Amino acid sequence: MADSPDGDLKYVGRSIRTKEGRAPLIGKAKYTSDYAFAGQLHACIVRSPHAAARINRVDLSAATRVAGVRLAMHGADVAALTDPIPDYLEPALFGGKAAAHRCLAIDEVWCYGQPVAVVVAEDMRTARYAAARVQVDYTPLEAVVDAEAALAVGARTIVPGWDDNLLMHVPFMHGDTVAAFESADQVVSTEVKIHRFSTQPMETRCYNAVWEHNTESITLYGTSQNPHPLRLVLAQTLRMPENKIRIIASTIGGAFGLKMHGHPEEGLICLLAKLTGQPVKWLESREECLLIGAREQKHYIEMAVNNDGTVLGLRDRFYANTGAPSACPGWGMAFLTGLTMPGPYKVRDIDVQMHAVSTNKPSWNAARGYGKESTAIALELAMDNVARQLGVSPVTVRLKNFIGKDEFPYDSPTGLLYDSGDYAGAVEKTLQAIDYDDCLEEQASARESGRYIGIGVAFELTPEGGAIPGSMVVGYDTSSVRVGPDGTVRLLTGVTSPGTGNATGIAQIVADELGVDIDAIEVLQGDTNASPYGFGNYSGRSTIVGGGSAALAAQDVRLMIDKVAAALLEVERSSLVLQRGVYTSTADSSASVTFAEVCYAAYTRAYDVALCIDPPLEATRTFRPPSIRHTPDANGNINPYPSYSNAAYATVCEVDVQTGQVKLLKFAVTHDCGKVINPILVEGQACGAIGFGIGGALTEDVRYDASGRQLTRSFMDYVMPRMSDMPPIAVEHHDMPNPGNYLGLKGAGEAGVGGSAAAVVNAVNNALQPLGVVMNELPLTAPRVWAAIQQASVAPTPGGDQ
Amino acid sequence: MAIHVTTSINAEPVEFLCEADDTLVHVLRDTLNLTGTKEGCSTGDCGACTIVLDGRLACSCLVLGVEAEGKSIETIEGVATPGALHAVQQSLLDHAGLQCGICTPGIVVAARALLERNADPSEEEVRYWLAGNLCRCTGYDKIIRAVLAAAQDLREAAS
Repeated sequence: MADSPDGDLKYVGRSIRTKEGRAPLIGKAKYTSDYAFAGQLHACIVRSPHAAARINRVDLSAATRVAGVRLAMHGADVAALTDPIPDYLEPALFGGKAAAHRCLAIDEVWCYGQPVAVVVAEDMRTARYAAARVQVDYTPLEAVVDAEAALAVGARTIVPGWDDNLLMHVPFMHGDTVAAFESADQVVSTEVKIHRFSTQPMETRCYNAVWEHNTESITLYGTSQNPHPLRLVLAQTLRMPENKIRIIASTIGGAFGLKMHGHPEEGLICLLAKLTGQPVKWLESREECLLIGAREQKHYIEMAVNNDGTVLGLRDRFYANTGAPSACPGWGMAFLTGLTMPGPYKVRDIDVQMHAVSTNKPSWNAARGYGKESTAIALELAMDNVARQLGVSPVTVRLKNFIGKDEFPYDSPTGLLYDSGDYAGAVEKTLQAIDYDDCLEEQASARESGRYIGIGVAFELTPEGGAIPGSMVVGYDTSSVRVGPDGTVRLLTGVTSPGTGNATGIAQIVADELGVDIDAIEVLQGDTNASPYGFGNYSGRSTIVGGGSAALAAQDVRLMIDKVAAALLEVERSSLVLQRGVYTSTADSSASVTFAEVCYAAYTRAYDVALCIDPPLEATRTFRPPSIRHTPDANGNINPYPSYSNAAYATVCEVDVQTGQVKLLKFAVTHDCGKVINPILVEGQACGAIGFGIGGALTEDVRYDASGRQLTRSFMDYVMPRMSDMPPIAVEHHDMPNPGNYLGLKGAGEAGVGGSAAAVVNAVNNALQPLGVVMNELPLTAPRVWAAIQQASVAPTPGGDQ
Repeated sequence: MAIHVTTSINAEPVEFLCEADDTLVHVLRDTLNLTGTKEGCSTGDCGACTIVLDGRLACSCLVLGVEAEGKSIETIEGVATPGALHAVQQSLLDHAGLQCGICTPGIVVAARALLERNADPSEEEVRYWLAGNLCRCTGYDKIIRAVLAAAQDLREAAS
């Protein structure tokens, strides 16, 4: 039993784990791949070995001859029965180009690994064997793999009918950048190259589609962050009414954006179940999962600065290699990178030119941070460059340019409305957490003994809870609270959990609002036949809108229960006290009735004491954060975010100058997510995101050869941080409540990726500053750091015992 | 042709049929319905499928089902006793050392094996022992705290 609430002891604000955790610990949690049904069939997908090719012929005959094969299809077969997959987020909403996304390629393949054919068999072994017998005749085409080369005159257009490969160009401009640059003492240029990452949840995608013969409908057990919007996509793709599709997103083994929809396999597996009349399962291999990337982009940044460190203006031209067009929302990350410039800095004159480029690499999907992490990486590397050029401390440069804590709400130059924050305070706390002054001394003495220690700081603004007009990326969500006649609670919410713990956080809020024990609450998420229509998990929104809507619903139900309690006890409602599951009254010391007895009366005495309510004890409410503004202002800008979470980072590293190996010694973060519902869960989110950032900065890299074939195909190649690679992480909370949201919530979950990556790069550059080495191309793998040291203007002087 | 294998799983005698190239993780999950063991990468890099095979940690994706012949296997399903979590499991729960939970069975099995060999590991020993288990959610910090706390709990219980 968790502690019961009594008096001031509330659940909100406490570190508890009750709503998830036990089942995975004993091996009993049921993830999508753990489901198997009677008559289960298995699908295997044939994928293109070429980055770009014309498909001349697909011959399925050798596959279909294999005993145990039930169905084999190519692109034309599938296209005859399906419509193109609708975009999660239409590029056309932002003036971009449109392409038809098919479950299987027809006529042409646009990237390595694109699905070309599919085989369904009675077991996986047979499906794999038969898939290998599918013969595809290709004529390879010249692959376009580099974003800037893709825009060059004469580059082959990768989508037939397009006039170039520019998916979208969006300028983000404000003020008078020309005047700012003319009046500045100096201009500091920084080129930042961010490589291709992949989120790689430990659970790959899995879809198991069941054809329900009795209702002629589909139930899809699937790894989906957004079951309701996916249902609409499937309805359109499969030409079925939406009410004939049910999606059950079971326990999810991590998502990080990768399980947002638009993937060709989603509709394809449903179609196969419909055609065979049997359950069809597809489990993504790790090699297939590694096809899905994100955030490969090159920034050309110029900052107009005065000699005292004031940044007057920002120019940034950047080119994002978003890969082949797909229905997944990955490309939108590049848009967000531009929109969230210039981050936490009070720079009013900006000229940011975003170019999202289509190439013959596999397409992006959303990745934790959704573009805001790239803003942080680009800006924070550039700020360190400014500090180096001016010869001032990187801390000073940041403090000089931060938006002040008394300047909120703050209108950003791109039209965003930052709600609250204390950026300088967060940096100060971080420096204390890492003992910054001691680190500086340690660094100085280490240098005397030939050791290269570096200290890096960075800041990151992560707007959370985003809403884009005209899309299924919405800012609100809905929850239902149902209290049964025994006083137990069923909480249904439209937000989903990919393993973040939001079920516990939302249950904490509901327990406090209802005045019940948290163990009396069961949370249900991810089943479209049960949950209210909801938009799932993205953009750090789940506790803001899931918690906010659940609180409103709980308040409504609590009012009903209070009314019945007052009627039962024959006292004024205002005199009621609910403690440890018992109602008493300040007006009548003998009055007492349990919460459960009141709930029973609410159901069973509808004609006397419960006449004051409409049973059942249920309410469904929506929370629509009020600060989102979709009506354009005078400059045509909207504010798509209800919360502006932020975080400050500091790290200490040692670079082995003989090998190029970077070892992180210390790490600290100060995180502002508004009111904290559950500190331990917020810390877990922050530490996990920092793992992404550290891995991305140092080792994770998805690589291709010149012809666009993917070289990174397993965890041998995609090197993520292990326990022995990670430093201890000190997490501080610095919470400036959001005035617009329930309890002052801001989102948590995305902060960590960009700020930590930038802090690591800045630390390495700081360590190697005596050698004149500056690296602004990620990742800083040991071979690349070593190569940079070899080319340094100053030779290193390694310590004696190295 | 199916091959008959005689083994023991969590101290219970078990016999099964498998094909010569079936991996042990597939036998556990698909034939024996012991789905607590997870398959994360199929190449022995992630540790989600960690089991104990004749007293040694192994990635069950790198072991063939037929190799279990005559051996003893311990899986996640055998770690908790009815009604009580193992100290490692309880500590992971208390310290929020799991988030999505899919790497957790492997981490529980590996951490328990560490504490059976070394009752008082240093933080560095925990970091290197569990370096074979990838986790993408936690950044590992809370897992390490949880394992160190579990070690202390077990020492106190034993003294």
